[in-house]
Amino acid sequence: MADEKQQRVQTAANPGVDRREFFLRLGLGSMGIAAAGTAVFAYQFLSPNVLYEPSPVVNMGKPESYQLDSVTLDVDARIFVVHNNEGFFALSAVCTHLGCLTAWKPDLGIIACPCHGSKFAMFQPPGKKPGEKFDGPAPKPLPWLKMWLSDEGELIVDRSEEIRPEQFVRV
Amino acid sequence: MTNEKTPDSKASPKSFVAAVASDARKSPVRVAFVTRRTSAQVQAYDEPKLQSFPEVLFRVAIAIEVLAIILVLISLFFNAPLEGLADASHTPNPAKAPWYFLGLQELLHYFPPVVAGVLVPTLVVLALIVIPYFNINVEADGLFTKDRDKRLRIFWAVSVTFCVFLLVFDVIVALVPTLITVALMAYAATATPKSSSKFRRSLAAKPLSFWIMSWFLFELAVLTTVGTLFRGPGWSWVLPWRS
Amino acid sequence: MSTTFNRYFGELRKTRIWRSVFRGGTGQSTLRNSMAIQQNVFLHLLPTKVRTRMIDFNATWYLGTLTLGTFGILVITGILLMLYYHPSAPQAYADTKDLQFVVSSGQFLRNLHRWSAHAMVFLVFAHMFRVFYRGAYRPPREFNWVIGVILLLVTLLLSYTGYLLPWDQLAFWAITVGSNIASAVPIMGDKVRFLMLGGHFVNANALLRFYVLHCMILPLAALFFIAIHFWRIRKDGGLYTRHSEPDAVMTTAPAERPL
Repeated sequence: MADEKQQRVQTAANPGVDRREFFLRLGLGSMGIAAAGTAVFAYQFLSPNVLYEPSPVVNMGKPESYQLDSVTLDVDARIFVVHNNEGFFALSAVCTHLGCLTAWKPDLGIIACPCHGSKFAMFQPPGKKPGEKFDGPAPKPLPWLKMWLSDEGELIVDRSEEIRPEQFVRV
Repeated sequence: MTNEKTPDSKASPKSFVAAVASDARKSPVRVAFVTRRTSAQVQAYDEPKLQSFPEVLFRVAIAIEVLAIILVLISLFFNAPLEGLADASHTPNPAKAPWYFLGLQELLHYFPPVVAGVLVPTLVVLALIVIPYFNINVEADGLFTKDRDKRLRIFWAVSVTFCVFLLVFDVIVALVPTLITVALMAYAATATPKSSSKFRRSLAAKPLSFWIMSWFLFELAVLTTVGTLFRGPGWSWVLPWRS
Repeated sequence: MSTTFNRYFGELRKTRIWRSVFRGGTGQSTLRNSMAIQQNVFLHLLPTKVRTRMIDFNATWYLGTLTLGTFGILVITGILLMLYYHPSAPQAYADTKDLQFVVSSGQFLRNLHRWSAHAMVFLVFAHMFRVFYRGAYRPPREFNWVIGVILLLVTLLLSYTGYLLPWDQLAFWAITVGSNIASAVPIMGDKVRFLMLGGHFVNANALLRFYVLHCMILPLAALFFIAIHFWRIRKDGGLYTRHSEPDAVMTTAPAERPL
């Protein structure tokens, strides 16, 4: 192009930035801002604001319906409700490895994942807290979930809130 | 296609000396040397060619037709699998991905997801992209034909480290192909381009990229086969003919 | 019969209407044959001439061609399957059942789509390894190899997103496992999974997203890169043959070295 060869005149007020350079920067800068805005817009558009998903808070019924030393899997809520000597607690039933639904093995006293063979402690093996992983690829223990008694005396579990292990609900 | 050629060495004396700064064997540059007061010689490479239309296009059409016939026959006799309605409250045992992901799923059995599911695939893709930009490939020299002692030391250090790593994580399935590849490479190191048997000569001529890619292909095949055929409930070992 | 056909076809090619559609012209000369490629928007991605050696089956095993063939079959069967499919849970499963038992040839089309998808994944891998062992990725073809890697990824994503669409147990749990792999990405893993599924669970939103990816975004991406892939074959000097390389490169290839 012919204008490429034209000598660039640097103004005294703006050494190093001539008019061409200024407009180039202006153009690239505004395009950069527009691109950033588009990225934010795209992210917002792609994240749904309203989700028609089930509530994380579930009612697990009366404590009396759970026998002592029992582990109950609620497949819809995808949690275990456990009743032992120290009280009640709720454990997520979703494997921390890749989200498969784990199963309670009463004869072994453990929780096992069918997908990649992770095993989590319950009553066995000795010395492990319930939910702790003792075999397989799962990176984290099964989380304990917040549980409390409602005014009507029913067990309520908030599946979105994890708590420190060994916090029991005593009735 | 034309092909510039350097005049033979008998064309002496040289009227000037040309030098190329870069290593021409690593990044090939076609240079024509004109040593006398003559015009550059261009030797035409007379390779027979065909018109794409109709010869090549018709062959393509026939190849695709044969493929279509085979696929139609398969589709007539074998139904695509369809299991029960999706049910979030019941995980099938074992839950298997399609066959081409079962190598990955086999790795997920041994390593945490961030390693098997993110790190390994990312590294594989990066390695694939890097291949043509890797000087060793262009060089196309046997791995152990140059710098033999140094390369052998690096080779043993890397192989032993990697095998110990696989042993620590108890990944026997991936260890076996690795050991076989390492053994073949060690055997290749004993051969030279002047070895007596043709097999040994060809082994000696294989560059590093060949070994890495062949190891990758070997692992891919073994992991996929194990994941598809030899894994049952709880991802435990089963024999496919005993189900 | 073929002479009759040729005569009528020759007459047809001379008509004004035909010549307004195809710019290749009439007759059988080399020029006309070249123009048939050059003057066509789709075919001009291809070279007008090919080395005779390269049409040999052993040269390429026709793996790239066959991959294109599976892609064509998948596009056609896929569009037909879309006519009987609602991307909503659990309607998608009922539609798949209907395709199998109610729609005429529905079972056949679904089979063809599924098996062609498997064939395509296999062929893409086979093509890649074949190109590697031929050394056909070497300069100046290195960028076309990169395009090929992108096409491999697009193929795998296509088959992965297609896996969810029947909404059966296999689909649901394969996607559950797959989306949890995404959440293992450091730092932003959960966000990635949330955007991918359009929610926290594999649900109707996820099905719709995977449907759009599978039927629109990824096929368009595949077409885009396939076009570049083919065009680069032409621009990079045709299909690779070792003997099309200059002598200087050939002498460094160990197999050619006198022993």
